[in-house]
Amino acid sequence: MEKTLRILLVEDNLIEIMKMKRTISLLKLNHTINEAKNGEDALEFLKDRSKIPDIILLDLNMPKINGIEFLKIIKANDDLKHIPTIILTTSSNQKDILECYKTGMSGYVLKPLKYEDYVKKIETVLSYWSINELNKV
Amino acid sequence: MENNELEVLKKALEREKSARKQAELILEQKSRNLLLISRELKLANQELTKLLNEKSTQLSGVFKNINDAYVVFNLSGDILEMNNNAKELFNHYSDSTLNIKKLVHKKDLEYSNQFFKQLEETGSFTNFTSRIVTSTKSTKWVQINASLIYSHSKKILGAQGIVRDISKIKKLELQKENILKELENSNNQLQEYAHIVSHDLKSPLRSLHALCSWIKEDNIDSFNETTLQNFNLIENTLENMENLISNVLEYSSAGYKIDEYEQVDLNKLLLNLKRTLFIPEHIKVNIQENLPTIKAEKTKIQQIFQNLISNSIKFIDKENGLIEICCNEKKYHYEFSISDNGIGVDKQYHNKIFNIFQSLNRNDDSTGVGLSIVKKIVNLYEGEIWLDSKLGKGTTFYFTIKK
Repeated sequence: MEKTLRILLVEDNLIEIMKMKRTISLLKLNHTINEAKNGEDALEFLKDRSKIPDIILLDLNMPKINGIEFLKIIKANDDLKHIPTIILTTSSNQKDILECYKTGMSGYVLKPLKYEDYVKKIETVLSYWSINELNKV
Repeated sequence: MENNELEVLKKALEREKSARKQAELILEQKSRNLLLISRELKLANQELTKLLNEKSTQLSGVFKNINDAYVVFNLSGDILEMNNNAKELFNHYSDSTLNIKKLVHKKDLEYSNQFFKQLEETGSFTNFTSRIVTSTKSTKWVQINASLIYSHSKKILGAQGIVRDISKIKKLELQKENILKELENSNNQLQEYAHIVSHDLKSPLRSLHALCSWIKEDNIDSFNETTLQNFNLIENTLENMENLISNVLEYSSAGYKIDEYEQVDLNKLLLNLKRTLFIPEHIKVNIQENLPTIKAEKTKIQQIFQNLISNSIKFIDKENGLIEICCNEKKYHYEFSISDNGIGVDKQYHNKIFNIFQSLNRNDDSTGVGLSIVKKIVNLYEGEIWLDSKLGKGTTFYFTIKK
């Protein structure tokens, strides 16, 4: 049985956040979404150990601490580095992909133009992580 | 009897006399010859001495007039002799002894010791490049070639060296290096910039698309046909815009040269392309056998063929389409050709089609970037691209890649 996920969405764009929420309600999924509008907020959120999410969906292009920096910070933290972090971005920049790969990402998803395509992609990502036995670890 | 004897004696005496005279004559002749020979010898000797003198003056002239500094030094590095150029190079005009090893700049000392060691061990060193500090404390870049001087008994007497001032060349080299670095930096920045711009431009498009589809979804019952159609048009326009941005990015990346070349087997590459490209069933693609293996960046070469083949596919209007790929090996380059039996290109557009965003036939799957990317890559490999075409009959694209 697929379980519900606690998702932390790190994204600064209001409409992108709306897209994620709408997608989840459209797909009638019961996942919990917490959003952080930048790296600092996300780190602040993660300080409360009771709120540690099952997965993090991370936008790369953010003000202040950018996505890659954020990824490096959590992958260097023993309490946080186990959280699967999936990159959600527009940038297919080879350099970024390589950097994320080296740092330790759990996925790299390009945001498509069409909303329908976006829904399909998010559905696939979430259903994959729902069948993973994350809670037992 | 007495008279007879006297007569005989007289005759004998006369014979003897004439014989002596003849001998004297021969002797005289011989000594005259001898004199001549010795005179000749003397002349030759004089000439040789003259020649010798001339040669040594010539040699000393060479030392004086040689453009480079010339120095003779002993094994501890003390300079025993130097020409004027050397004095100028070292800014050394006094009679005090200079030591060539001590002229070397501190930072190059360790490195210079290796070279002097090599000189003693192997008898010479070539193109030793280092900085020196002259008597007036200015730093110069020099290149030294040196060899040992031996006596007749093969004993090492010292060494001689030609010292060339390469400060100017070095300065230019440094300048060149800096310029190259700057160029690389600005290239990287440009690349980065293209990515950021394309990201920043695409994000709002995505948002617009999402908002459009939501409005559509939420009002599906209340919108009339025309409004829905207009919304679809907005979405199509957004797609076009996104395609354009992607293509601009692709075009700007195409000119980015990397230094890591690999051996690219074109037989494999094209076979692979034939398998992965979408080729409609009515089009046959013939690839010449035994294509060469070239040294290049694989993805770029693949892009050339991919874009040209796709271009041909796009413009084939015949029932039985045919695309042929050939290679012609020339002395300095390979000449490739991709021919099709498509609609052809009017002569007046032969140059224009390689310009960015120049699409002759406006349709949705053609943004006019493909051929400009091909041209950019071909130029990157110092090649050329051109075409031959007959309207209605077909087109052959040719391009060259330097060996």
